[in-house]
Amino acid sequence: MKRFIVMTTVFIMLFLSIFLFYESNNKVGTASKYNMYFAPRTLYWGVEGADVKTVQDKLLRWGYYDGYVDGIYGARTYRAVIRFQNKNGLNPDGVVGPSTAQALGMVTTAPSSAQGVSRKSDEYLLARAIHGEARGEPYVGKVAVAAVILNRTRSPSFPNTIAGVIYQPLAFTAVADGQINLTPNKDSINAARDALNGWDPTYGCLYYWNPATATSKWIWSRKVVLKIGKHWFGL
Amino acid sequence: MNRRWWIAPTLLALLLVVSGIWGYNQYTMKNRYEVALENHYQRLFFDVKKHVDNVQVSLSKALVSDSKEQNVLLLSQIMNEAYFAQDKLSQMPITHAETAKTEKFLNQAADYSYHIIQTHLLGENVTKEQREALTNLQKNSATFNGELAKLHASMMESNFALGELSNKQSRRVEEGNEKVFQTSLVSMDKQMSKSPELIYDGPFSDQMLNRKPLGLGGNNVSLEEAKRIATDFFGKDRVARLEVFEQGENASEVRIPAYTFHLYPKNQQKDLAVYIGVSKKGGKVVWMVNPRPVSKKTLSPKQAEEKALKYLKEKGFESMEANYSLKYDGTILFNFVNKEKDVTIYPDLIKVKVALDTGEIVGFDASAYYLNHHERTIESPHIDETAAREKVNVDFNIDSVRLTIIPKGKNEILCYEFKGKHNGADFIVYINALDGREEQVLQIIEDDNGTLTF
Repeated sequence: MKRFIVMTTVFIMLFLSIFLFYESNNKVGTASKYNMYFAPRTLYWGVEGADVKTVQDKLLRWGYYDGYVDGIYGARTYRAVIRFQNKNGLNPDGVVGPSTAQALGMVTTAPSSAQGVSRKSDEYLLARAIHGEARGEPYVGKVAVAAVILNRTRSPSFPNTIAGVIYQPLAFTAVADGQINLTPNKDSINAARDALNGWDPTYGCLYYWNPATATSKWIWSRKVVLKIGKHWFGL
Repeated sequence: MNRRWWIAPTLLALLLVVSGIWGYNQYTMKNRYEVALENHYQRLFFDVKKHVDNVQVSLSKALVSDSKEQNVLLLSQIMNEAYFAQDKLSQMPITHAETAKTEKFLNQAADYSYHIIQTHLLGENVTKEQREALTNLQKNSATFNGELAKLHASMMESNFALGELSNKQSRRVEEGNEKVFQTSLVSMDKQMSKSPELIYDGPFSDQMLNRKPLGLGGNNVSLEEAKRIATDFFGKDRVARLEVFEQGENASEVRIPAYTFHLYPKNQQKDLAVYIGVSKKGGKVVWMVNPRPVSKKTLSPKQAEEKALKYLKEKGFESMEANYSLKYDGTILFNFVNKEKDVTIYPDLIKVKVALDTGEIVGFDASAYYLNHHERTIESPHIDETAAREKVNVDFNIDSVRLTIIPKGKNEILCYEFKGKHNGADFIVYINALDGREEQVLQIIEDDNGTLTF
């Protein structure tokens, strides 16, 4: 009986101390997924994915690798990578970083003309906003939400950058409740790209609202233009 | 049994202590966050105040000063400070409805200053209208500044915390304070809306925002006609069903009023509808998107370009020329521009997206074309190519030259386009073909997916 009580106490204390010091690190998931779509990630022992398959496939064809092309970075892949690195005068660390990936012909780094300028960060931020705001919408509804954000950057009454518009306080509920930090899916990314490339199903609208959940009376004083999916779009 | 009576109370006491510590930790953490947020908002508020101060002072100085050089300096300061003020105002926890007009005022003040700087650099003096507009801006910023000062004073008196504006829980408690803040902002906003429209040529001017399409003529089409146009555009025998998007009462107030349809193609899943917009005036297809996935890529960019060109010919766009391309998600996007008499007309732009599996056109956007296309009388250049070439930076290795029309504000200008390299990076330089001025410099960003200009 006594032992039981002592054990319970210890468990409760442990449990509470976990609460006390626990810091959620779900951001890590977001970051690694980001790399899958946008930047070649660093591959090392233990990671899995389509990019690992690409490495295995290449090493297999060039005779460095003799295992399965299963997308799991295991001991055989590790040894094959080291062999490849030794042969190609790279630092044999068994990690597929930028230089090894380039030697494998996996990434074509941006030519010097780019000098670091790119549209990728805008694309990703926009995709996240779409995912947070219009996950359940049809494709055109996603493009429309992105188009509204882009139209706002061109309007004098709103901030002039994509991040400025998205993170404007009290502007988007998905930003306020943190849904914007979810990892966007392929559909949202495509919608972001289409919107950035100029498609605007809203014909220049600056607002949208869901009639079922809109709380602000003010929003109904806007000029109503058209309905796409669940959202009304207006000027 | 007697020995164990203390176990339960001790346990409970321990629990109490632990949860107390936990609660205290949470409490201090919350306080720290609140203070950090409050400090941030306070800083924004004081910054807005300071920036608007500077705008007002510089505007007054610009009205006094009579030299262009001094004015250019003052106006560039106004531009900077107004943009800063707008940027920071938009970061404060206030709803958009309450600051829209003020933000617009600040943005247009900055934009207008930039416009006057440009006219000064061309050697022109400030006109009477411009002087009046500046006086107006000065008055407006003075009222704005006055309101901010009042607000500041009352905030100091009542120890008002801005952070609480965004916190609904404490709204009722702080309602009195909130009213001070909101009412002065709303009155500012009302003041701003009374000021007359600024007439100038810049991206944020009302004239640019309210532009009407030049390329759409003819009568308005009925919904039935628009349906027929949409089905014909996609291919009559490929459409299974068509649905219309619901329209609001102000649907005709957008830049290109249009009917929008879902087309359900035969042999495709229900959720993969094709979207198409048909303009009410003239009944032209403005845009089309077919979001179907593309699995295997078999076509080369060259083949795709031919398909796109053929498609445009079928749709009645005869003299289009592909300019830039961008590859993504198994598709390739081409920017086609109109070409007349060997002059490339950039404002007449059509975007075409080709799927790289079958060569089907999965995207079409002619909104820019219909916005800008009109009968043009293209002047012959006043200066020849060699004279224009001399205007280009000597360090610039020119690869190609051609005559183009580029947009400038709401006007269009005839330019020589020089493509070339400087320091290993690609640039395009535009030299005005009429007076030899350097109009624009663009940098070309190429990556493995295509070309972009900045």
